[in-house]
Amino acid sequence: MNIDDWKSQLKRGTLEFCILLMIKKKPSYGYEIISTLEKYPIMAAKENTIYPLLRRLLKEGYISSSWQEGLEGLPPRKYYSMTDKGLDYLSMMFVEWDNLLHAVTELKGE
Amino acid sequence: MEKILTEYLEKMEKHLKPIAVAERSDIIREIKSEMQELQRARIPAEQIIERLGSPKDLAKSYLGGLLSKESGFSWNRLLAVCAFYSLVGFSGLFIIPCLAIIAPVFIACGVAVPILAAIKMADYIFNLGLPYMENIHVVLGGIEELNPVVEFIISCLAGILLYWAGRGAWKLLLSYCKKVSRAKSSLSI
Repeated sequence: MNIDDWKSQLKRGTLEFCILLMIKKKPSYGYEIISTLEKYPIMAAKENTIYPLLRRLLKEGYISSSWQEGLEGLPPRKYYSMTDKGLDYLSMMFVEWDNLLHAVTELKGE
Repeated sequence: MEKILTEYLEKMEKHLKPIAVAERSDIIREIKSEMQELQRARIPAEQIIERLGSPKDLAKSYLGGLLSKESGFSWNRLLAVCAFYSLVGFSGLFIIPCLAIIAPVFIACGVAVPILAAIKMADYIFNLGLPYMENIHVVLGGIEELNPVVEFIISCLAGILLYWAGRGAWKLLLSYCKKVSRAKSSLSI
């Protein structure tokens, strides 16, 4: 029984969804996203997963980025925010997510 | 910043060579930003390095998408590229020169025609006796002798039409060029 394999597959499929949800809530920077995900063991991912994923979302136009100079001793941060295309994409993800939940709930019974 | 951290970034940059300079320095800047965040949280440099993994592996994770894109040769893609260039080559041969000539000439004529007719009308009304006025006239289906005032009105309408056609040709040219460049970037040739 290797639950870890299944967990990593689950994570691979949903990480993008979670990152977009976070960015939709408020513009965020890379380290912020990584440390928020660390709170949820099932979703925790390392830099070598998150940064390339953010870059891909950026290239596909779902998010946009802007550097903000560090104030009061803070380092400069690259903030990511949602684009209209990203919002459309996210709403399509929501539909599929609901479909998945519905299927699982119904198959489980009750 | 500690020496081991700057060394880490330098090594990472070396492994990111296949990526364009601007993007590469943006990647390095972002990792540097995270290092500074971690330092602010009082995490020692050694632990930061441990967290990020080897610079080579972190750099490789950025290259993943790039490599699979480059090695993606397929006959469909080759056909798409051939079709694109044939279509653009042939259509561009006619469309670009035609529109590039039509647009400015029509716009210039659209401006010139009413001006000339206005000069003729002024000459007629005020009896100025300007030279060469007999060369300016509107020819409409055999009727050559029209009143210069009527000619002026017709010229204005013709001028508007010409100007409008010229502008249209110019916009068509621009949208043709934009479409081609968009199609090219979506094929990522």
